Amino acid sequence: MTKEEVSTIISVIGKKREELANISKMLHLGLSADEMSLISSYFKNEGRDPTDVEVQAIAQAWSEHCSYKSSKIHLKKYIFGIGREKVVALGDAGLVSLDDDTAIAFKMESHNHPSAIEPYGGAATGVGGILRDILSMGAQPIAVTDFLYFGTKKIKGFPDPKFIEGGVVAGIRDYGNRVGIPTVSGGIVYSEMFSPNVLVNVGCVGVVDKKKIRSSAITEPGIILIVAGGKTGRDGIHGVNMASAVIESGEEDITTVQLGSPITKEPLIHAVLEANDKNLLFALKDLGGGGLSSVVGEMLEAGGMGGKVYLEKVPLKEASMKPWEIWISESQERMLLAVKKENVNSVLRIMEDWDITSSIIGESENGNRLRIFYNGAKVLDLESQFMTSPKLYERPSQLEEKRIVQYLPSYPNNFAKLLLGMISDSNVRTREQVVRQYDHTVRGSTVIGPFAGIVGNEGPTDASVIRPNWNKVNGVAISHGSNPFYSKIDPYSGGKAAVDETVRNLISVGAEPLGFSDCLNSGNPEKQKVMGEFIEMVKGMHDSAYSLDIPFVSGNVSFYNEAGRRRIPTFPTILGVGKVEDIRGAITPDFKGLGNDIYLVGLPTTDLAGSLYFRRLKKDGGRVPYSDPRTLKRRGWNLLNAMRSGTVNSAHDVSDGGIATAISEMTIGSEIGAALDVSALGLRTDFALFSEPQSSWIVEVRLGREKEFVKYMGEDAIFLGQTQRSALAISRGEDKVLVVDVDQIRKKWKKGYE
Amino acid sequence: MEEGIRVNREVKVAIIVMEGTNNEEEAYQSFKHSEATPEIIHLKKLEDRKKKLSSYDIVCFPGGFSAGDYVRAGAVMAARIKSNLMRDLEEFVESGRPVIGSCNGFQTLVELGLVPNVDGDGRLEAALAPNMSNRFEARTVYLKMNRGNSLFLNEFKEGEVIKLPIAHSEGRFITRDKEVLGKIIKNRMNVVSYVDGSGKESGYPWNPNGSEHNIAGITNKNGNVLGLMPHPERVFYKYTESDWTRENNGTGMGNRFFTSAVQFVREKF
Repeated sequence: MTKEEVSTIISVIGKKREELANISKMLHLGLSADEMSLISSYFKNEGRDPTDVEVQAIAQAWSEHCSYKSSKIHLKKYIFGIGREKVVALGDAGLVSLDDDTAIAFKMESHNHPSAIEPYGGAATGVGGILRDILSMGAQPIAVTDFLYFGTKKIKGFPDPKFIEGGVVAGIRDYGNRVGIPTVSGGIVYSEMFSPNVLVNVGCVGVVDKKKIRSSAITEPGIILIVAGGKTGRDGIHGVNMASAVIESGEEDITTVQLGSPITKEPLIHAVLEANDKNLLFALKDLGGGGLSSVVGEMLEAGGMGGKVYLEKVPLKEASMKPWEIWISESQERMLLAVKKENVNSVLRIMEDWDITSSIIGESENGNRLRIFYNGAKVLDLESQFMTSPKLYERPSQLEEKRIVQYLPSYPNNFAKLLLGMISDSNVRTREQVVRQYDHTVRGSTVIGPFAGIVGNEGPTDASVIRPNWNKVNGVAISHGSNPFYSKIDPYSGGKAAVDETVRNLISVGAEPLGFSDCLNSGNPEKQKVMGEFIEMVKGMHDSAYSLDIPFVSGNVSFYNEAGRRRIPTFPTILGVGKVEDIRGAITPDFKGLGNDIYLVGLPTTDLAGSLYFRRLKKDGGRVPYSDPRTLKRRGWNLLNAMRSGTVNSAHDVSDGGIATAISEMTIGSEIGAALDVSALGLRTDFALFSEPQSSWIVEVRLGREKEFVKYMGEDAIFLGQTQRSALAISRGEDKVLVVDVDQIRKKWKKGYE
Repeated sequence: MEEGIRVNREVKVAIIVMEGTNNEEEAYQSFKHSEATPEIIHLKKLEDRKKKLSSYDIVCFPGGFSAGDYVRAGAVMAARIKSNLMRDLEEFVESGRPVIGSCNGFQTLVELGLVPNVDGDGRLEAALAPNMSNRFEARTVYLKMNRGNSLFLNEFKEGEVIKLPIAHSEGRFITRDKEVLGKIIKNRMNVVSYVDGSGKESGYPWNPNGSEHNIAGITNKNGNVLGLMPHPERVFYKYTESDWTRENNGTGMGNRFFTSAVQFVREKF
């Protein structure tokens, strides 16, 4: 390569705004005219025009995806400050404490845009990326989770939703199964709202010895930078810029999606953990969005260092790559390891033992400048702080005023049919046809997986529990919360409901909630309405989490989930982790015995907007169910104490389809029915059975422990009836409401599987 | 005193891995919790002669996706062993010491010709084909233990029905010809079979992959090599069995496989 081919000078000094905007467009930088002007004046001070490597590097760092420039102000105000005393460490993932020695590292993030363009590769690399975030903290991954939102309607110019779904599921399966970490938790929502904007939110949970937690900050000069794992190629160039813009059509540039290789990742996990275990790593970070450019800059900046990098040392897939391509490529399965000189040989030897490609590419230096060379030519020379401090936006926002119109459905005449319809609804029935393609028992630590009950007839669970250490009895509970239907109507209440559901699910298995990770999905933030919804959502999340004093330790924001005139509602997927003191007391929803008392912990509501009941009637009206975090805290923590004292046989939270659906789900894995009288609940029978009250559970109490249970719960527990053989019978005083066979319930729920 | 020394003898386990093997952690823990001394060994170290099989008492091929299983499952691992280590492994097997492979490890054992090996010539007699359902299946199955002479099954009652997790897409055991299958049955080498909840041999879904004769696991004639699709190492303790909150199964279905093998070594070697 001649010098001219190495890198090009981009002339920006003295250019007009329109010209600058044009340069941004020509080079696929995704920067606004304002941002280009900042670059122009920076280089005016430097007394020279930038190289292509420099403008590309800045564009990566300043992308919405990397910089959170539209959301950071709001996240700081509402999210970052909550429950700080409970956070062990923050970084690529956040950490909370499991016990004296062990911390839980976890994170959830989106891989929405790549999955919309190339579902198989996009979803697979989503799993790969989130695994590396956990690894970056020095933690052993113990579980992968995924929350998926699929469209139901074919939109002209975009792939069929069934094609997207098949690709996403296969991508998660083929990557997750091969990498050997169990996929244990998640969810699937089907709605027209996600045509054609499919959402793939992936999470990962790991554990780490508190003494071995690593950060990504390089705080000393002379620290050697080693890139380890996969080679660098042209796949995934401009991925972050693509994720920071609306999708124009179904034929987006496929080279923006990375390619995954789980068989490179699997030994990389072992090798990195072995090096960390031997205290050989000074700092580390995964190479994700923005590639080397983002990671080297952030690691040095975080530690107040400068540094130099030699791009020709980066192992390549394609020899003809230009320096700027090497610098911003998002090729998968790569980690950047920062190692003290005396440990370099030991680290390289460990990599070799595991057959992993690794190469020294540079080192840290005193000062604040990052310098990049390619075969002796300097192609970048910038203050790292300039790159990592983009302009933050407090974009204009507008709250949509919605008039609340009440809707009163006519009184149903066939409750059994209504209930069975709900149980076989696409958003309630079993996900086994998907989830059983994921290995959820690998590592031999899955105490509660996605299904529980009699072998061959399992029903659903609320949260998974992993026993990370076979020598201890404690466990990590993992679950999610999200309700895009509520959020679409009321983003504030939707934010609260997502927190409520996460907490409910964790408590259902007997776990104390410890922390949240939030994956925030939204539309184009440059639209005032979208920004208004975004602020409402984070306010709702704040109000709940603040009352509960539970921190958000990690997460991401995915804006621009829009295509043409279609956009998704603004809503969070929350990943929650909890601590099970003793896994031998963990609880599943399947009924355990005959003649046991059944209680509702909670109260039905008349707020039915967004409920499955109204969705099935294709009606809207009223408010979405109200979540009061103080009630959640009282009921939830009292229930935890009741569980720990051994008074509870089984428990299941009330969510889609209300109390009747929750009880039905408890019969599936058990072949045990129930005889219930709902007169104590008041309200119209359909409201009592199908409303979706927040902070509510159905509980089967252990025989002989009823008084104790009621003492723990006080007035929050309402007696409903008892378990019985083979049928679910609901009455209201003397009036029969419905009788259905447990077999019928199971058959409806298993629809679509086998 | 001599008794005591024998009981406390160290039992060394070689857990053999290559890139893509990913069930080694639970295999390691299972042997560790059976009071053996497991060691995870990269195939490379055996190939480079940095480690020798002869210094171990038990060999374990754990599950996973060796080399990605992008060609036939287990084929790449088996090919690497055949080209370089086959003599060592054959000597190990002939010595009568235990060899176990589950899931991808089973596939490797079959590719190596170590099971079923009815004719004793180490030729390929069987294969683990893609599941009839044509998809990856992860769930718990019922299994009937037809102990035979397998040293791994000493702690099971003849005909006992147990439950173990499966997680595979290539688990359909098929034999080269009717003759091989006939000899397997005649020699009672089909030691683990898929059954339904009542203990009867039934079709799908109880037989999750469509295996011939509902075969889930198979031993060699001598009883010291066991290959099986289900994962005993994932249910060493009962708290990882999928229905443990309903049923008290005592100690856990999986641990008997391991303690049985460790005990065998302590008694015989």
